[in-house]
Amino acid sequence: MALDKEILRAFAAVVGEANVSDDPAICENYRTAAHQSSAHYGPYYHWTPTPLAVIMPGSTKEVQGVIKLCNKYELQFKASTSFWSVHGYITSDRAVQIDMRRMCFLEIDEKNMIATVGPVVTHAQLHAEAIKHGLCCNIPGVGCSCSVVANTSGWGGPGPSSPYTGNGNENLLCMEWVLPDGRIITTGSAAMGAGWFSAEGPGPEQRGLLRGGRGLCGELGICTKMSVKLSPWAGPKTLTTVGKPPAYRVQLPDNFRYHTICFPDWDNWAGAMMALGDADIVFTGHRQFSMFGRDIKAAMLRIITDPDKQLADITALNELPEVQEHSKSIKIELNITLMGQTPEDLAWKEAALDEILTQFHGWKDAWSEEKENNEWLMTYFVRMGHKNLNYVLCGSYEGCFGLNGANLVKSAQYAEKAYALKREWEEKDTFFAKVGGDCSMGGLSSLGGAGGPMLWEFFAHFDGMDPKSVEGTRKFIAEQSSRFQAENKLGPEFCYNCAAQRKPDAHGFSQEEHNEMFVNAPQPYPMVYQWKIRELFNPNHEKVSGSYYQTLDPEYLKKVRGM
Amino acid sequence: MALDDMRPIQERCSNCSFCKWIPFDKQQSLRFAVACPSIGYYSWNTNSARGRMQMGRALSAGDIGYTEKAVEIIHSCLSCGACDVSCKICRYNMEPLENNMELKADAVSKGHILPVQAEMMESLKAEKTLIRGAKKADRTAWAKGLGIKDLTKEHADVMFFAGCKYSYDEKLQPLAREAAKLLLDAGTDLGFLAEAEMCCSGRAWQMGFFGEFKAHAENNIALIKKAGVKTIVTPCSDCYHAFKRLYAQLGLDVEVLHIVEFVERLINEGKIKFTKSLDIKVTYHDPCHLGRQGEPYVPWSGKEKKIRNQIHTWDPPRPRYNGAYGIYDAPRNILKAIPGVELVEMERIKEYAWCCGAGGGCSETDKKLSEWTASERITEANTTGADVLVTACPWCKSNLSGACGEDGKSIEVADLLELVRKAM
Repeated sequence: MALDKEILRAFAAVVGEANVSDDPAICENYRTAAHQSSAHYGPYYHWTPTPLAVIMPGSTKEVQGVIKLCNKYELQFKASTSFWSVHGYITSDRAVQIDMRRMCFLEIDEKNMIATVGPVVTHAQLHAEAIKHGLCCNIPGVGCSCSVVANTSGWGGPGPSSPYTGNGNENLLCMEWVLPDGRIITTGSAAMGAGWFSAEGPGPEQRGLLRGGRGLCGELGICTKMSVKLSPWAGPKTLTTVGKPPAYRVQLPDNFRYHTICFPDWDNWAGAMMALGDADIVFTGHRQFSMFGRDIKAAMLRIITDPDKQLADITALNELPEVQEHSKSIKIELNITLMGQTPEDLAWKEAALDEILTQFHGWKDAWSEEKENNEWLMTYFVRMGHKNLNYVLCGSYEGCFGLNGANLVKSAQYAEKAYALKREWEEKDTFFAKVGGDCSMGGLSSLGGAGGPMLWEFFAHFDGMDPKSVEGTRKFIAEQSSRFQAENKLGPEFCYNCAAQRKPDAHGFSQEEHNEMFVNAPQPYPMVYQWKIRELFNPNHEKVSGSYYQTLDPEYLKKVRGM
Repeated sequence: MALDDMRPIQERCSNCSFCKWIPFDKQQSLRFAVACPSIGYYSWNTNSARGRMQMGRALSAGDIGYTEKAVEIIHSCLSCGACDVSCKICRYNMEPLENNMELKADAVSKGHILPVQAEMMESLKAEKTLIRGAKKADRTAWAKGLGIKDLTKEHADVMFFAGCKYSYDEKLQPLAREAAKLLLDAGTDLGFLAEAEMCCSGRAWQMGFFGEFKAHAENNIALIKKAGVKTIVTPCSDCYHAFKRLYAQLGLDVEVLHIVEFVERLINEGKIKFTKSLDIKVTYHDPCHLGRQGEPYVPWSGKEKKIRNQIHTWDPPRPRYNGAYGIYDAPRNILKAIPGVELVEMERIKEYAWCCGAGGGCSETDKKLSEWTASERITEANTTGADVLVTACPWCKSNLSGACGEDGKSIEVADLLELVRKAM
């Protein structure tokens, strides 16, 4: 399918000829494999559709012009900036990709502790600019390479620092949004011309409409600007790092501390997690390096902190007695940083941590306390600049099990059983990496307060270019971990978190398919409500829309269920 | 290797976009966070290493063919390797720079080249230099009267290789003379290939002309072996990279030093003494091919091996070039040794330094990209408050100097050797 040249010229008239292209060499690069970047809707060896054109608007006005043309010509559109996640790519064959890379601006309002950002600004850049003002931002678990606007408008944005900064969605203040019909709206205090400091503004709460609880993944128009809340930062104005790549180490002052805290069993671990939440002492808290796998995480820590080591060293490292001892030490753990606003504040937090460790029979891992290791670990969590380590082993992973459906007390009870099941399949077959069962990763719960879900992303590392590896992993999730979740009433399989958004062939669902999917839901009205919102905002919503916004046609519900 | 051989790497790219930015731990501002000039200027995802992975895969798979735009984009990579460093912060089984180069080589092998490149290669063939318009007969003009030994006629321990830029650029020729004099004055047993000298052809390699590079390199290696020198010293970072990394793959087995390494050695041995204070504030630009790509070559031949079912390693372990062992200290140590020089650093330095814009032949083939890239570096240098932007490569000096004076941006651009001579 090719885009009519007249349409292409119309786009060019809005954004300039240099910023629109239907050349196959350009368009092909705005695709991704469905299994890539842990899309959490199942690992599938399919590619997203090729856009008919790629358009790079440079201003809100240009975004508006592009959207109006999309409406006129009934083209689906999808905006993205970093193009990491599959969610940023188009879902149909009659669609254009909007690349927001030209919209790059950032302003810090130190007094009001807010930042106003354009779509291309990443969390790393916001963090780098914020700390100059004694402020810091939430950095989501996906890492600092992702866009602030995309993550905050499109997703929930929990991360290691969320217990301190709040999740991304909680930090969202004002937005400038181009609706699917081309109208530009500004939300919160900015809508009154009163500045970008508050999410509250005239009329009903628009955050609920435009992003909801979980985020829209870019279905209801395009967010072109937003302000986010920042938090106090008691560190230096720049991160000064030492060391050779990739083992950069930041040297922070004494009011920062990093510890790997470890526990003898999951009961004590769960108790300590709740106590940490209650004590409110954590700057960042995450069970992170478990993602590599229980059997290799101690070896991997040595590899990623030593510029001269590589993955081939795993085998030899695992033979070393000190590595084996370290593995035992960090079997059930949490990676934690503390930030004291004053020396007294830090002393109090350290004392509280020690008390929690005593109460739950925990200890601080000795290897992590060694100076250079400690500095590297601190660097990891302060900036979250190494998150692509998620993919280091095989190039792809998917989160299976998903012990996130339950609170951490319940999921901790089932953790070892889940690990045993995965370990069994690591031994039985070769489709995913054999790393010791336990690969569950997750932030110290900031969802629902202390005791909320943790251990939510349970890595199954597979080779994305090997169809057998992809298919084996898919089958394991469909037949094994899903069954485990259901049998133990642990909530939905994490891998299918986004299963209602995109089909296995990487295309979106049609409205008919969504109708079938949702009509028998115990509570179908939220999807009907969303249908009505989309109808209100999108003039083409029945002809051109995407399935990231989950809707149920009220007429169909009436016809099938008489509701 | 060929483009098809890059398929596993292309398919295992995790789309993280790390390749577009300098390492996140190193970012100090939004303004200077970009690593890749090609995407920095053109903005298309396609211009990044991640996009080049996808393009390589699509071309190999036959999903797309070579369009005019594809050829432009392929050749808009400055071969600076910044993507490679950033990617390898997390990934241990990816080679973005190698993929960029194989993409260029594939295009070249199928005749998809830019008109300027054709002219450059014609010049290499006829005049033994990639500098269009230059004549072989003029190559040794810079050395007249210096009394450097002709290695085709007599032996010397050390071969001085000025390189094309120093040899032909009239503004830079005095620097080549100064460099050679510096070595001679320090008592170095110095020679050069004189009339037999020809381009190192490193820039041919950078543009993807692997066949032409190899043929040329083999001729040079034969000459160097015949001359029996122990050490090659060059003031050009591109030549340094060619000898150190590329020729080594073809069997050249002599010590290769950039002149900054040699000068540092002479300073440490007391053979260079400074007598004057310069009283200036300087900032240093790391040339890509001396810095992150200046790591020593490690021979390797092997194949992929999966361990623990699916973890990708290589058997035997593959050398991991990530800029960790490039030449960063020698030029900084020299600057520190010069009296009255205060060194202030830019945000993007060492293995994550911003390119000057001349890499990959882009100063000839993509002037707008090249000039913008240089201009960005001048802006960055200006933010340090330095009086002088110092570098150690004629291509960098030339390109950065060319960007001065635009939009009110200005800074004196100097070769490190100029400062050394001034202070002696």
